[in-house]
Amino acid sequence: MALLTPTGTRWLSGILTVVLLVSMFSFVLTPVGGKELRPVPFEDTVDAGGTSVDIQRSLQEGFIIPQAEVFYSNYRYVVGYYGVRMAAAELADPGTERQFGTPLAVYVSDFSTVTPTLTDEGFIIPESGRAVGWVAADRAMYVIDSEAHIPSGPAVMPFSDRTDAEQFAETYGGDVVGWKTLQSRVDTPLEHRLARFDEMTASYQTWANQTVASSRGLLERPRSFTVGEDAPNVSAAIAAAPPNTTVYVPPGQYETTELVVTKPLTIVGAGNETVIRGDGTGSVVHVRADNVAIHNLRVAGVGDIGSRSPERANQSVNWDTNIQLAYGYGDAAVVLDGSNNSVVSNVHIKTASSGIIVRESNRSVIDNVTVDGAPTPNEGFMGAILIDGRSIVQDSTFRDGRDGIYTHRADGSVIRYNRMEGGRYGVHEMYTSRTLVTRNDARDTQTGIIVMGRPTENIVIHNAVRDSVIGIVSAGGNSLYANNTIVHNRDGLRVTGDQNIFMDNVIVSNDVGIKTNEILPANWVLRNDVVGNAKSVDSQLGPLRTWTYRGIGNYWGPLPLPDRDDDGVYDRAYEPTGTVDSRLGTTSGGTTLAQSPAAATLRRVRDVVSGLRQSGVIDTAPRTVPFHPQRLADLNMNATAGTTT
Amino acid sequence: MNVREALSVVRSVVNDLFVVATRELRTVIRTPALVALAGVYLVSILAVAWAGTGGSGGFIPLTLDLLTFTEVLIPLLALAFGYRSILDDRLTGELDMLRTFDVSRIAYIGGVYLGRAIVLVGLVVVSLFAAGLLVPVLTADQPTFFAQNQAADSGIRFVRFVVFAAGFALVTLAVALAVSAVTRTLRTAFALATTLAAAFVVGIDTTLIAGLASGVLPSESVPLLLAASPNSAFRGLVLAEAVGAIGGAAVNAGSTPLNVVGLLGWWVLALAVAMWRVWPTVVLETTVSADAHET
Repeated sequence: MALLTPTGTRWLSGILTVVLLVSMFSFVLTPVGGKELRPVPFEDTVDAGGTSVDIQRSLQEGFIIPQAEVFYSNYRYVVGYYGVRMAAAELADPGTERQFGTPLAVYVSDFSTVTPTLTDEGFIIPESGRAVGWVAADRAMYVIDSEAHIPSGPAVMPFSDRTDAEQFAETYGGDVVGWKTLQSRVDTPLEHRLARFDEMTASYQTWANQTVASSRGLLERPRSFTVGEDAPNVSAAIAAAPPNTTVYVPPGQYETTELVVTKPLTIVGAGNETVIRGDGTGSVVHVRADNVAIHNLRVAGVGDIGSRSPERANQSVNWDTNIQLAYGYGDAAVVLDGSNNSVVSNVHIKTASSGIIVRESNRSVIDNVTVDGAPTPNEGFMGAILIDGRSIVQDSTFRDGRDGIYTHRADGSVIRYNRMEGGRYGVHEMYTSRTLVTRNDARDTQTGIIVMGRPTENIVIHNAVRDSVIGIVSAGGNSLYANNTIVHNRDGLRVTGDQNIFMDNVIVSNDVGIKTNEILPANWVLRNDVVGNAKSVDSQLGPLRTWTYRGIGNYWGPLPLPDRDDDGVYDRAYEPTGTVDSRLGTTSGGTTLAQSPAAATLRRVRDVVSGLRQSGVIDTAPRTVPFHPQRLADLNMNATAGTTT
Repeated sequence: MNVREALSVVRSVVNDLFVVATRELRTVIRTPALVALAGVYLVSILAVAWAGTGGSGGFIPLTLDLLTFTEVLIPLLALAFGYRSILDDRLTGELDMLRTFDVSRIAYIGGVYLGRAIVLVGLVVVSLFAAGLLVPVLTADQPTFFAQNQAADSGIRFVRFVVFAAGFALVTLAVALAVSAVTRTLRTAFALATTLAAAFVVGIDTTLIAGLASGVLPSESVPLLLAASPNSAFRGLVLAEAVGAIGGAAVNAGSTPLNVVGLLGWWVLALAVAMWRVWPTVVLETTVSADAHET
């Protein structure tokens, strides 16, 4: 008690007074507001939009991607958008304000500081030696629908000076509009996007059906040579056969060194009894002409070199060439090399490296092919490789090896009705935009379907991934992942990228149903049935996300929560990542804990300023019944059948 | 009385005040129940910061997480710390004993208030600052290589919250002292303290809502009536000045000047009541037990 003297008390009260007085300076200091926010170097922002192809090519070729920077009231980082349209769309979405708060400051590239010119492709080239500046979005004028482009699509051009904008529009076409008009014209509501994806899906299916149908016409060509009768071996028959005829290869084993096809021919076997066997080095059949068909036979004896990539990436050539060299020039059973409108069908391939490599061959079809790869991913390579062309892979089976189907810039391709078993990735899309991946079945893979390289507008629907390490990974943007069935994996779905739609997926019995770690959560996740996973959602990075769109959430299984108005939505929000909510219905006492005043009080504010809160996921409209009861019931039946047989 | 005499009077009042305050500090520290209460409060605040998702995000979400807890706990804490302070002295006869030393009302009430306030405000400030310090610890794993949006979150706003909480604690402690000064039995004091706590935390706001619902109170009266309730005034100040914009919209938390005036009003009124009622204005030299006459 020695301290407790009147002098001690004077000191104590003095200290406390000083602390409070100093604290009161917080009222004199104004927290930073919107007016003081200035653009930061774009590379320091959390960026969104812009495909890797856009970004890599702009760096390499020196053109400019218009950019925007947004400071949100409730998000700790500065957000950078590639493409002004992307920023406008994000700002116009009602979910953005709920997630990140109001935009305190929005800046866009100012092309008034440079006099931009366009290349033949429409890419934007600045005046040499001058840097593009920034202008506040609401003070800029925008040229839309001009010839200005980036590789992934049209570009909106902002100018701080109206005269510059008008001059640009005069030269390169387009309209001059203000920020408000631009925002009203962006394709933002989810409903619009879904309608667009529906149209895309339908037109892709039609294109694929027509392409496959016309490829089958190649099988009708008259037979000119029969190997063994008209020619001593396959290569002699191919050399002698006139264009647009069929070479028939009867049952038997045919030892060949690399067969090269340089004219439009159809090579047909008698099914599994016809085996074309390479010498174990290099590729077996090399096609270098359009309109070639290889049908109804087996190919074996493929060399074992998957990738001929130089030890280190060659710095002197561009990134794209490096990837092409690494992935497109290994050994394969069949190589389609610049051979448009060609088809490989009813072919069974046994390979230690790749099955089929398709390079720059538009409208090529891989149909009903079986590829048996090397026993481990490290030993083998890809079942089918699609590079730089629009192709179709359908009704095929890829077993083991590394990846079932690997694509590089094969924009517009359709991958449907395939089956992948074992191996690393079932479908591996790199830098490939606007594809349709549908009704594929992957199992026992390391990842069923993986989209990488920030591509855009991919449609991944109605696929099934089972018994894999990871189900589906989505490292791109502006894409649709819908109606997939993801069962018995370690991680079911990885929600990444930006402006992706994840809906109507059935995610059952995985260790973790959905994993989500985007720093900038800007995806729609709704109408999914997430049931019976050891953990529904795991989220360690990025702020709290809201997975509800206009009152439509997801189904997280039966929860001990009330639904008094019987509208099929629980009366309160559910936080599948929450300490308390995640234990609802699973941990004994979870409900009691959730009802505590402390938990209820914290719950009340948990989705306020969600952009500044601990990482996690909240659904403000959790459903009381599944969206897809039939699909869940089918899965349960299968599970029961599986255990009894 | 010349200036020198006036100064010496002030000096003696201040000296007396600190003597009384020191005695109050000793009393608090020697009361295990109050020490335990302080411990429970400190742990509760830190636990809220830890259990909520705000502390591991930033200062503004932490403020929102803590707001309701502080609003409920501070009045309870203040009443617990204050309702017996003067009454105990009265019941044990110490008050009469002190009066024989010619202690002034200001020195006595001021001393009791200061002594208790040091503990209460110290506790509130320390616990909230400790919770605030958790923010940099809990957010340590967030990426720092991105450009920070300086306008998104700010420690300055959290410091404002702490200042408001300290002010709120001072006001509710003044009310507790008034309760202690006007009552003559422990039972009455406890009942009155409980009533006031219930009114502050729940009653005034529900009455206001009921009034609005029935149409008795016009909407325009809301800012004024909110300012009249210490809890609502505190809440409004925190939302307007410490939290700022939530989810885009301005918070519309009422009137900051009115809320400040409201809290100051309660403070002045409560201390005035305490000074007025602590002993009779007419000094009764002969009657030692004046208590019976005053109830």
